[in-house]
Amino acid sequence: MFQGIRAFARGMLVSGGVALAAMSAPALAQDRPQAQALVDWGVWISPDGCMYWYADGGWEGFMEERVDPQTGLPVCLEVNTCLSENTDTLFDTDSARLTAHGRQRLQQFFAGAGAFSYAIYGHTDSRASDEYNIDLSNRRAQAVYQVAVSTGAVVDRVIGFGERRPIATNDSAAGMQQNRRVEVICYRW
Amino acid sequence: MANIQTPAAILAVLALAACEGTVQHPGFGPNGELPVIARPYDAGQDVIPLSGVTMPSIVYDPDGCQIWLIDDGVEAYSGRRLDPSSGLPVCNDQYPPGTVVGEYRVNEIPDSVPRNPFGPITGVLAE
Repeated sequence: MFQGIRAFARGMLVSGGVALAAMSAPALAQDRPQAQALVDWGVWISPDGCMYWYADGGWEGFMEERVDPQTGLPVCLEVNTCLSENTDTLFDTDSARLTAHGRQRLQQFFAGAGAFSYAIYGHTDSRASDEYNIDLSNRRAQAVYQVAVSTGAVVDRVIGFGERRPIATNDSAAGMQQNRRVEVICYRW
Repeated sequence: MANIQTPAAILAVLALAACEGTVQHPGFGPNGELPVIARPYDAGQDVIPLSGVTMPSIVYDPDGCQIWLIDDGVEAYSGRRLDPSSGLPVCNDQYPPGTVVGEYRVNEIPDSVPRNPFGPITGVLAE
């Protein structure tokens, strides 16, 4: 698998260079810096599953996060979400108050997850306004945060993303249900 | 590379690596090919240097954010830890800035830390 990724990485390097050369045609030739060398990048995968470009220069090493050129987000093989819970089971519709079942479920999760620290992200479907959904997902993430700290968990970040980060289409009831969720990211070492 | 303790042994190993493993900067090729200055292989060994590093150490930056840190002997690698879902940095106040948590050396080649003549240090300089 690792070799496959490396081959892919080299492909990226070549095709990226070609695309860049095709796109940038400077008005004056002397404006364009002379290419001096090549770096043959490999890929290292972090414990979170995220990719890092690296290369060994003999006496020095280079490493940089691989990011999506469009979004700037890290490129990760698997998202280390250790809990993605549908909010229908945790909360009533439009409510940020945990149901008894939801509270128990979260307490059990945080008691057994055993990560060093956590991030908690709330998400909604696209019904109602963006502003309303940001607020609702924030309040729901905060409710999950309260349970987390009650079990002694260290929480680095709590964010309500509203409807802005869907994982499924909002054009169907099934898709909307997938989008209504609370994600807990486990930061493990 | 195990159990190298004396400076002489280190120098010998490095000299060997320089002879057998590293390639002198070749300059441009006969047809203008660019020289490759870094590759994902370890000098002197036909291995992929970081493929076995599945659990590197963390160093906290001055803002309290976590950075992966791998000391591979002569060279070291670092990269900011980013949340795989949100893409945001991973930051907390669980350790003071600069603290290294976890095993940072992947081999036993020792390093020398530059002494700062301009100010005191709070830690002990590793020899």
